[in-house]
Amino acid sequence: MITKTRNIPDGKDVLKKLPLIHYLEAPYLYYPITNQRCPEGETCVVFGQFVKVGEVIGTRKGAFFEQPIHATVSGEVVGHEMKFDASGKRVNCMIVKNDFKYELHESIQSRTDETIEALTKADYVQIAKDAGLVGLGGSGFPTYIKLNTKNKIDIILANGVECEPKLISDYEVMMDSPEELIQGLIYAMRAVDAPKGIIAVKKKYVEVIERLRFALNAYQAHDIEVVAVGNHYPQGWELEAIEAATGIKVPQFKLPADYGIIPFNVSTLQSLYHAVRFNLPVLERYFVISGDGVVNKSFKARIGTPIQSLIELGGGYVDKSIPKTLIMGGPMMGSNVTNDDIVTTHTATSLIVQNSLMLDEDPCIHCASCVYSCPVDIQPVQIMNAVKANDKEFLKQLSVDKCIECGLCSFVCPSKIHLTDYMREGKRILRG
Amino acid sequence: MHNMTFVSQTSPYIRKDTSTKRMMFDVLIALTPVVFFSVYRFGLDAISRILLSVIIFVGVEALYFLSVTRADGYNLKSKIVNKFKKYSINNFSAPAVSAVIYAMLIPDQLHLYVVVMGALFGAGLGKMIFGGLGMNIFNPAALGRVFIALAFTSFFTGSYSFIDAAAGATALSTSFPNVLNSYSLIDLLVGNVPGSMGEINALAILIGLVYLLIRKSADYRPILSGLLIFTVLATIAGFVLYPTLVFEYVIFQLLSGGLLFGLTFMITDPATSPITRPGRWWFGLIIGSLVFFIRIFGNLPEGVAFALLIGNLLVPLLDYPMWSNNLFTKKFYVSYSLVFVLLAVLTFVLLGGYAI
Repeated sequence: MITKTRNIPDGKDVLKKLPLIHYLEAPYLYYPITNQRCPEGETCVVFGQFVKVGEVIGTRKGAFFEQPIHATVSGEVVGHEMKFDASGKRVNCMIVKNDFKYELHESIQSRTDETIEALTKADYVQIAKDAGLVGLGGSGFPTYIKLNTKNKIDIILANGVECEPKLISDYEVMMDSPEELIQGLIYAMRAVDAPKGIIAVKKKYVEVIERLRFALNAYQAHDIEVVAVGNHYPQGWELEAIEAATGIKVPQFKLPADYGIIPFNVSTLQSLYHAVRFNLPVLERYFVISGDGVVNKSFKARIGTPIQSLIELGGGYVDKSIPKTLIMGGPMMGSNVTNDDIVTTHTATSLIVQNSLMLDEDPCIHCASCVYSCPVDIQPVQIMNAVKANDKEFLKQLSVDKCIECGLCSFVCPSKIHLTDYMREGKRILRG
Repeated sequence: MHNMTFVSQTSPYIRKDTSTKRMMFDVLIALTPVVFFSVYRFGLDAISRILLSVIIFVGVEALYFLSVTRADGYNLKSKIVNKFKKYSINNFSAPAVSAVIYAMLIPDQLHLYVVVMGALFGAGLGKMIFGGLGMNIFNPAALGRVFIALAFTSFFTGSYSFIDAAAGATALSTSFPNVLNSYSLIDLLVGNVPGSMGEINALAILIGLVYLLIRKSADYRPILSGLLIFTVLATIAGFVLYPTLVFEYVIFQLLSGGLLFGLTFMITDPATSPITRPGRWWFGLIIGSLVFFIRIFGNLPEGVAFALLIGNLLVPLLDYPMWSNNLFTKKFYVSYSLVFVLLAVLTFVLLGGYAI
């Protein structure tokens, strides 16, 4: 309709009520040697070698950083195989045969409060680097680079908005382990010497806000507050969450750190807590299987677990004759995978199996719903015309590079035109 | 498990539960009070003209569709069958909307031949020649109406029934204070006046407007903007020309002629509107003021269709990406208010207000 659309039916209430299955029975675990940010990687173990939980088994190499790969089970390295990762790409994976003993590696040592008190910024950065922490909200951006900022930071924002439909992992972190999240936030504040911490939560999650505020009573010495922000999509987008929670307007293409603020996903902060307190890398993540093409189940699984086994354990596909669309992540921005031979990685929290919709596109009637709904105020319909005309100057004028590919333009289009694809094409044309 | 088929798609994977079809049918539903009133008032004359327009508009669209759509087939028959498979509900509902609007714009006694010519022109040259749904730059109904008004002027004499002996063909073509002797303001509200079939009953139009706004199938911005500037200008004119009858004058101007109908059903046609929020405010301002200027300074008693076409003509200008922007910037507020005030002052001066 001809109006700004921001609220999307999110289907989370049903998923939150699903019983959580803690899955530790995977016989083989797979660790991608490369990922989207790191096109190269190498291993530092030989086949047949015995590894323990938390042991470094390789390194991924990105453009300006390196990232260790950790084993999340104990067992024997048995080989490598091609599997799909969360971004839908086929990658080479190390295979570790699970011995179900979950023996911890020697490097996993708890730190005492005194040692933590004495940690400097450089120590925090080193810990985050060694634990291979990355942005768990989906960006996969290395946490230590964020912590290693040279700017003066006033606020650390814990982003718990999770505005995408069907995703519940951040919600579960906030509900199940608020203390870990808060302590992670405190460590992050200490690391960059920020006086203030803010946890941004959707205002409709009254129970989460209550729980966090209650947990915060034990940390009165720190200036941390819970801010209720909007329920709409894409409120969880970094810049929108910052603006809603703090009032600071960070322009696009600028780093929030330049404006004295660093946003972290709540799960990232929890992983920072684990890294600082126990020297643990990210071992487990919540993983939910949803959608109308599969039995819906909620899991907590080790990183490296093959998703096929989770689907099978959950009850498998339904309506097998209907073609399915596999989505890693949320239904608005998730990536498409064309095979269910996927392994869980740091940033994978959801698989949606959807009975494929076949959409017929009607002609555009210029209703401008896409223009009204666009969160970055560009004009998708004009961009579509420019893409069709292959007009580079026009695309530049329309600043297609601002597009964050949130998918709202395609979502609202009454003619079911796939505008988001035109935006991607426009960016490609602009890049040359 | 391994014989599953997986389809490749790109994000987003969900769509809002809305469709172009729904928007078209919303307009048709919103038009029903007006249509019912015209049938009630003019009987068979109204039915025949509406049906004729619908047949021609839909027919031209179908003809166009069949001639430009490419379809595979092993012989002519299967090709045509395959073409018809691509024929969607929009190929019926969109021309039907245009047709009903067009029929509502014409007088009830207008010769059927002229009705056919206008419909052919509106459907063919107004829409199809640009490429069909969403491609047209002019409102097809308004274009058809303007075409017959210019090409078949003589046919309009005597085409309006219910003429009061003392009054002109329509309420607007009668000079102002005298018109109140023939028709009261209530008559204007409920359509007890001569005029084009759909334009006379303000009440029926308002019901349609409310429906469209509730369903959000029409944007309120151009309507509000057009109504605002028109009311302000009419009030100024009322003060200058008829200082004792200001209220009556403004209400008379608002209710008579095609203003309300145009603002409800024609200015809101998305295909011929600008695509940004400020653009739509400008669009309403342009059309609202043009309607008023045509009425006061022009030679035509009813200028809604003309104003709309001129507004349509300016849409590419409003949408030009050098300055079009979906944000309400300070520049927009300043320039919009400035133009608004300038138009008001201009009206005041041109009407001789400085002499007071």
